[in-house]
Amino acid sequence: MSRDENPFGELLQDYVLECLPLAEQVADAFVELERRWREGDQADDLLASLAGRLHTVKGNSAMMGLTPAQEVAHALEDACGLLRGSSERRADAAASLLVAGGELLADLVRNAAPDLDPAPAASFVERVRRWMEAEVSLLPGTLPERRRADRRTGSDDAGSGKVDSVVRVDFRRLDAMLEVLGEGLIQHSALAEAHRGLARRTGACDELERLDQAVVALGKTLKRLESTLMDTRLLPISTVFGRFPRMVRDTAQGAGKRVRLIQSGGETPLDKAVLDRVSEPLLHLVSNAIVHGFESSDARRAAGKPEEGTLRLDAAPLAGRVVIRVGDDGRGLDGQAIRKKAEGLGYEPRSEEAIPLRNLIFLPGLSTADKVSALAGRGVGLDVVAGAIHALGGTIDVETEPGKGTTFTLSLPVTLAIVRSLIVEIDHERFAVPLAHVAETVRVEPETIREINHRGVTQWRGDLIHVADGGAMLGTAAGPTEPRRFYVVMAAGGRRRGLLVDRLVGHQDVVVKGLDPTLGRPDVVSGTTILGDGRVACIVDAVRILEGGRRAG
Amino acid sequence: MRRSFLVIDDSKLHHQMYRVIFSRGSLAGSTVYFATNGKEGYGLLVAHPELTLVLLDLNMPEMNGLEVLERRRAEGLHPHIPIVLVTTEGSVEDEARGRAAGAWDYLRKPFQPADVELLVSRAVAQGATTA
Repeated sequence: MSRDENPFGELLQDYVLECLPLAEQVADAFVELERRWREGDQADDLLASLAGRLHTVKGNSAMMGLTPAQEVAHALEDACGLLRGSSERRADAAASLLVAGGELLADLVRNAAPDLDPAPAASFVERVRRWMEAEVSLLPGTLPERRRADRRTGSDDAGSGKVDSVVRVDFRRLDAMLEVLGEGLIQHSALAEAHRGLARRTGACDELERLDQAVVALGKTLKRLESTLMDTRLLPISTVFGRFPRMVRDTAQGAGKRVRLIQSGGETPLDKAVLDRVSEPLLHLVSNAIVHGFESSDARRAAGKPEEGTLRLDAAPLAGRVVIRVGDDGRGLDGQAIRKKAEGLGYEPRSEEAIPLRNLIFLPGLSTADKVSALAGRGVGLDVVAGAIHALGGTIDVETEPGKGTTFTLSLPVTLAIVRSLIVEIDHERFAVPLAHVAETVRVEPETIREINHRGVTQWRGDLIHVADGGAMLGTAAGPTEPRRFYVVMAAGGRRRGLLVDRLVGHQDVVVKGLDPTLGRPDVVSGTTILGDGRVACIVDAVRILEGGRRAG
Repeated sequence: MRRSFLVIDDSKLHHQMYRVIFSRGSLAGSTVYFATNGKEGYGLLVAHPELTLVLLDLNMPEMNGLEVLERRRAEGLHPHIPIVLVTTEGSVEDEARGRAAGAWDYLRKPFQPADVELLVSRAVAQGATTA
């Protein structure tokens, strides 16, 4: 028999999508179980609620011929079965066995492949077997005999079993496909435009009618291809969240704190490219919260709070984006210390009205911890986290209340391949400004923009912000023939800046195409796109424009 | 004759697996209808008296497998269509209850395409003798 010939090999991704959230819920539940046992809670309900999920993971892994995952799930089922029957067995040894097994199972499902190294699974199964034998001084070998892993594999001789049906695709190929699709979309709009021109010239006829139908059908097909391709790129956010239960447990232990992690929304889908780039910033926020956010147990008790801190990690889709929250019920941010530190760095923060605390903490060099911990810190501040999120086209915000806790809110695009944008016109050229960074669009009133040190400045929401000419900034071919009528206020991480434009065209989802290197565009353009009417538009790199603008003060 | 099947299962992964199974070997070219819960599945059963075989999962939200079987028997709906209850190992009692509620046979997970092919050929043979 060979696992490579499993008839469902091509469904590997479907398997991961369906089983990973289950396996991770199981892994999380084991961490929770350990915690509750330590508190003397038997947690029977939790043990019972696990059974169905383990069973499903086991069954599906078996169907897929993924023997290591199947065997680990089975061993965990057996261990849970034994624990359900007898509360006196619920000791630390059992708990760490389950925690390790849950983590291993999630890993095996996450990295599911027919050629996965079977050694870790085999050694875990052996560990469970030894533990069970020690617990039950009866019938060694009961466990292996109950295993029916190979019962049916190999009996399949129907069909073309020899074809290796597992397809693993390098992510760059998906990018390349998207690039080609982009070309297709451009060609389609050119075709549609030509058709419209022809129709104007010749008037209605049968051939034209058929051409019209073909163009419309082609457009629909390309749209379908686009959404299929986008779906292929999406993975549940639990592929990142799954790393947290164990990491929180270890970090909290290292910091001598007791922290309980509550997660939700792990099934929320995100483009793999976004996931890859958001996992480091998230890990950083989480370890920050544990090391700096939570008080010591003594301090918590003194403040009348539960000794155990609660860390919440939530994800949810919201209006075409994904919002992730990392919240602790710790001490909150120390406003005074942060202001003092900021002054020391020369930021001259004046008052809360001028620069809110939540903008200050994302400034470079701002870390209020006295010493850098081995776990968090690492010399990397929130400015790096914020920078990484902004570079993704995301935003980060913080809410904090002294003694109550701190919550960071990240808003991320579902994909980097399509960006929801505001289309503006400057000197008869069109530009796409990612909506994530658009705070407001304002009609220019006479005399509201003054010049200070050769830079335009205006009052916006009670604050002074710089306003730059869009044409000069983005290098349009022609200069302005009349005064600009609007400015777009762009914002990220407490930095704000206005960009003067001639016209606001509307909102549109644009497919990002790489930048043609020969174009010689300024560095404040991050890519190009094709608009609905077939025109090429540059995508404005709002973060870069803002970074080139003012810092605090 | 073109054969048609109904799969009632709340798992998308299982739907995909059945798609694989019904697109290969002797089952290639079959028509397969999919439902994600018992309620939806029952509606499809009502609409398709020509079905060769129904594969019915046991555990589902919105009407589980046993409830589908019971309602079908109570209403006497298409008694000629064999319904296979899909179970997992260790659910002997469910299988017994399924049989009692009118399941024609059961299929235990994990199964392979050959298991389904066998069930289908038995169902077809039986259909030919009773028709």
